Amino acid sequence: MDNILKTLTAEQRTRIDDEVRDAYDFDPRDPLFGLSRNDLSGSEMKRRTVLRLLAAGGTLTALQLVPGVLGGSGELQAAGKAGGTLTCGWAGVGEIRTIDPAQINQVLQFQIASNVLSGLMHIDASLVGKPDLTEGFEVSSDGTEYTFKLREGVTFHNGDKFTADDVLFTYNRSKDPKKSIHSRILKNVKEVTKVNDYTVKFKLGRAQASFLTKTLERASGRAMTIVSRGGIEKLGVQQYGLTPVGTGPFKITFHELGQGVILEKNENYYDPSRPKLDKVIIKPIIAAEPLAAAIEAGDIKLIGGNPPAAELIDRFKSNPDLVVKEAPGPGFQAVWMNPHRDPFKVADFNVPLPELMKQKGFKVRLAIAKALDRERYLKQARFGRGYPAYGSINPAMGYYFDENLGDDSNQKFDVKEAQKLLAEAGFPGGKGFPELTLGATVQNRRDAQVVASILKRNLGIKVKVETKDSPVLLQDFLAMRYDMMRIGSGGDYDPDDGVVDWMQTNSKFNGAKRDKSKMKFGYWSEDEADKLIATQSVEANVKERKALVQKANKITSDKVACAFLYHPMDIKVWHKSVNVPAESLIPALVDLDRTTLS
Amino acid sequence: MTRYMLKRTIGAVIVMWAVATLVFFMLRIVPGDPIAAMLFDVGDPAAAEEIKEKLGLDKPMYVQYAKWFLLVLQGDLGNSIYGSNIQVNRLIAEAAPRTLSLATLSFIVATMIAIPAGLIAATRKNSNLDHGVTFFAFLGLSMPDFWLAILLIIVFAANLHWLPAIGYVPLSEGFWPWFSHLILPSIAVGTAFSAIVARMIRSAMLEVMKSDFMQVARSKGLRENTLIMIHAFPNALIPVVTVMGIAFALLMSGAVVVENVFSIKGLGRMLIQGILNRDYPVVQGTILIISAIFVFTNLLVDMVYTLIDPRIRYDK
Repeated sequence: MDNILKTLTAEQRTRIDDEVRDAYDFDPRDPLFGLSRNDLSGSEMKRRTVLRLLAAGGTLTALQLVPGVLGGSGELQAAGKAGGTLTCGWAGVGEIRTIDPAQINQVLQFQIASNVLSGLMHIDASLVGKPDLTEGFEVSSDGTEYTFKLREGVTFHNGDKFTADDVLFTYNRSKDPKKSIHSRILKNVKEVTKVNDYTVKFKLGRAQASFLTKTLERASGRAMTIVSRGGIEKLGVQQYGLTPVGTGPFKITFHELGQGVILEKNENYYDPSRPKLDKVIIKPIIAAEPLAAAIEAGDIKLIGGNPPAAELIDRFKSNPDLVVKEAPGPGFQAVWMNPHRDPFKVADFNVPLPELMKQKGFKVRLAIAKALDRERYLKQARFGRGYPAYGSINPAMGYYFDENLGDDSNQKFDVKEAQKLLAEAGFPGGKGFPELTLGATVQNRRDAQVVASILKRNLGIKVKVETKDSPVLLQDFLAMRYDMMRIGSGGDYDPDDGVVDWMQTNSKFNGAKRDKSKMKFGYWSEDEADKLIATQSVEANVKERKALVQKANKITSDKVACAFLYHPMDIKVWHKSVNVPAESLIPALVDLDRTTLS
Repeated sequence: MTRYMLKRTIGAVIVMWAVATLVFFMLRIVPGDPIAAMLFDVGDPAAAEEIKEKLGLDKPMYVQYAKWFLLVLQGDLGNSIYGSNIQVNRLIAEAAPRTLSLATLSFIVATMIAIPAGLIAATRKNSNLDHGVTFFAFLGLSMPDFWLAILLIIVFAANLHWLPAIGYVPLSEGFWPWFSHLILPSIAVGTAFSAIVARMIRSAMLEVMKSDFMQVARSKGLRENTLIMIHAFPNALIPVVTVMGIAFALLMSGAVVVENVFSIKGLGRMLIQGILNRDYPVVQGTILIISAIFVFTNLLVDMVYTLIDPRIRYDK
């Protein structure tokens, strides 16, 4: 990230500094964030208004203002005419199993869904929620009631009118765990009522900071991505999963598993200026080299799905016909150490850090975390693509990301200190250290081998890499059946995704399937972190929420919930004949409604 | 003959049942929870229990088996656990034409290379031509098909732009689009099989050419071409047809690696993906079909024997 900022001219840096300063210059107690009602009305928001809202929403970073990095500003939409067919390759995937928002759980799926279905809100290239199927909304003074005025004149791809009934139908379908895998996201929504055909009211159990940016977001939330009752009834749930009917800019006209998906322009989209393209063909491509050959040969013109293999990026960058965009990706990867097994045993993390530092098991955990040369790892395993991680809050989250954590964390890379800790734990120079296994998915074998090699080099310990199929590895992870494991998270847009999902005692990944009679907690349990994470989740004031998030994040880092390794990069590649405007460069997504062909 | 065919068909069905039953129980014994994998990003325990109940995975194994077996008897292979829970019958119906197309063209490629190569190697034994054919046969056998596939893509798609790099187009969209997408994968798959068949033809031909009836035919002054094509080659075909039958069955069960490289979702790739996802119905259904392909291809090969060699009769 620093590298990107270093490439800027002095003039650009000054402009960015000024804009950031201006964006944060407001009283956090002001419900309009220092803006006038006029600024927040109408269909267009001025750049200054957007930046202020980003700051108030807690997602503004200087990086977002760098021309061409995440969109944001400074990059004009390239010239291109409407019409034409764009052929895309979806990387690292054999088939798009479902596009039904109630079932999708992979980024590569909601990349397509986001082009076909709509939500009440949509996060734009600057990570702020903008109205999608709403014309506006009002929040009650206590933050527990949201009233939405729905966009009128919107029709589903099958011709049905979009009304408040569809919002209710989607809510009732999504909150039912038999029908939706996202029911948990709606637990805080106590009631949704129809005020009239174009007005709905959400009643929450408690104020929720991520309600607009996650729960109602059409892509990242999935729980309230609006589905068509008529479409489901006519097609049946199975076919709806392949060719869902929505109100988005494109409609699906063909989908055969493994063969691909064809999107065609929705002529009745609520914004008549979009989409620009007539047709989009999406082909799933598993292997790396054929993907590269396909884009080099012009068989495909844009890569979506999983990020292309890191080893291909320099090759793509040296090809003058291709455009490559790199930005922080929403996620973190880590090496997990089982605190219920030797030599990592920690009976209780709820003791002050100095006391914890005296425990043998903790010393070993910290030694591993400190010995991880993240820069070397990124070079060898990720071809330099990624950012060193010291916590679960990623740089793509912007405002909440703690840029100083790398220097302040107990996990800061320090070989001598790591060796000293290991010696104090009874393993000088790695002597007598048991041979442990490091679990990883088959796809992550190389990554795990680099970790093992770094630990051998820096601590003199031998770690055996053991790869397993994802379902098996995941089962082991949830049941706490491992010594060490290389696993992590993706699609984390909100701090909740990083800390609620991973760092609380009851987090869904925290040893959910362990033998509870033998293990009191999963991989980690710390009361103060639990409290801070619970509080931040409902804190409406972004500055206070940031402080809570960063404090919790630091505790997980200092007390070594895991050895944090790296934050991934979001990499987008397309042919120069494809014009992708800055506003479409939403991290992890591939919104094609504004894309044109030269 | 009819009686023999009937017996073999019954035997084939029993083999298929045994394979499918074995796979059913083995899948459930090996580690890996399909629901956990499915919900990795979501991880809601309530949703996991609901899905388990919905799919019947909470029932005892014998109940699951009985339910599945009754459905199979009715021609229903169940629904995929993943995504939209598509019927396995439909998945197989979509994948089978791709596999059949790839297998047929690969088989043609293999035959077109193997027969002339095998005959040349046999009739020019120990000549440079024989050594050359043997060398290329070993090269074809030794070269991993995915590597050859990538080389072909780099040369003919990325550099020369002659053929598409990836994908499959159904025959219904035109012969050339269908054929052009299959040329490179067929060469990648067919080359390895051609090497095996060529070696088999060579050794079978050498064996036949040493036999008494060939000496007699030669002493009658028959021309060399007539000797080889009319007398020797048909007699050398029995072992070759056996190998080719197995090769075709193997091709029909999917050239997984090449299918992956060229992004063609055939039966093989479907099976592997099903195994990785612990998608029980998909694995069971695909293996049932693949075992059917194997046993019935063998049956077909047995019938072809009677056409090649009139001495072979299955009647009492």
